[in-house]
Amino acid sequence: MSERRRKVVVVPCSGIGKTYGTVTREAAFELTEHLRPETTRLVPLSLLVLGDEASRAAVAQNPTVTIDGCKLACATKMVTENGGAVLQDYDILDVYRRYKQFKPQGIAELNEGGMKLAEALASEIASLIDDRGLDREGGGQHA
Amino acid sequence: MPELPGKKVGIVACSGEELPEGTVTRLAALKVLEELRPGETVTICLPLFLAGGEGDRTFARFYPTIALDGCELRCAARGTEMYSGKPAASVVVRDLIQQAGLPQPGGRRRLDEAGRRAVEATARETARLVDDLLGRPWSRLTGAPVQLAGGEAESHESIQAACSCGSGIPIQRVLVDEQEVTLMALPLIFENLRQQGKMPGPEVAGELLATVGIYNPIPAGREAAYEQALLREYAAFCQGRELAQ
Repeated sequence: MSERRRKVVVVPCSGIGKTYGTVTREAAFELTEHLRPETTRLVPLSLLVLGDEASRAAVAQNPTVTIDGCKLACATKMVTENGGAVLQDYDILDVYRRYKQFKPQGIAELNEGGMKLAEALASEIASLIDDRGLDREGGGQHA
Repeated sequence: MPELPGKKVGIVACSGEELPEGTVTRLAALKVLEELRPGETVTICLPLFLAGGEGDRTFARFYPTIALDGCELRCAARGTEMYSGKPAASVVVRDLIQQAGLPQPGGRRRLDEAGRRAVEATARETARLVDDLLGRPWSRLTGAPVQLAGGEAESHESIQAACSCGSGIPIQRVLVDEQEVTLMALPLIFENLRQQGKMPGPEVAGELLATVGIYNPIPAGREAAYEQALLREYAAFCQGRELAQ
């Protein structure tokens, strides 16, 4: 019998003031467009800010992974405030500490180090989804 | 001596990831901040209005803002107004593209040529709005231009464009006629006066009120009450500094 599949929601902070915000955005695109396009979807934080019903339902009804670019953790806070349960939250600074060989620079356009850091994070999230079966009904546990 | 924040224009982009137009707002905002008007603009991440503290929410009350939105949902404009203050100007990329007869942009992650043209057009329009806003007085209450007495525009100084993350603008709550009001930049204003050797007293009352009025709306007819409250708070501020030394 085949298992029912569901989409894992990814919410990056996409912060505009620092390089790390762009890395979160790029990682989310890499995951949802390249690594796991069938089983993940990206929800823009701007829609959650306004309490958009479809976006609120998406984070409330699906396993959600957040990626924050600074200690203020806007993505995680916004998902929580909109009724979502964050299964895993990533702080990009912690991720960078694991991949210090990838030094990100640039905001409008990331350098190679930033792109590689984003790819590394996207791969981590893909592995998390696979290992914990987050894209399967009943898979995963709340963090 | 602490410097009071200069008058600049805040730019808030929706940065929506679902549409190419969202990416256009992000890149256009960055182009204005980094290239076109670096000394006259600042930005804030839209979700910080909710996730951040009160300092972040004072952002649009302090700076006249331009909201850059990708689509008709106008998340940046509505979010800014809901949680901070009414934007002084607004750009919707889809409308701008239509009005300018530009091709539809493509590519959410990597914009195509049409997307890059849309970034240029949006950035130019935003820079024009920045010039417009800095060239005339602006009401933080209504989001609309106002005329100052004597017809003079508020002056501004150029400071390097900066992200407001984690910094915010210093505020202080003050009781005016038993009503609590939040005043922006007040601690800096107090420190500035104190370092100039101007001690609390009637002789600084006018200057204090005028300086506070640059950064905060003083309701008409309540100047005397504000002046009294400010003098009281300034005296307490100076006393606190002396005790700390």
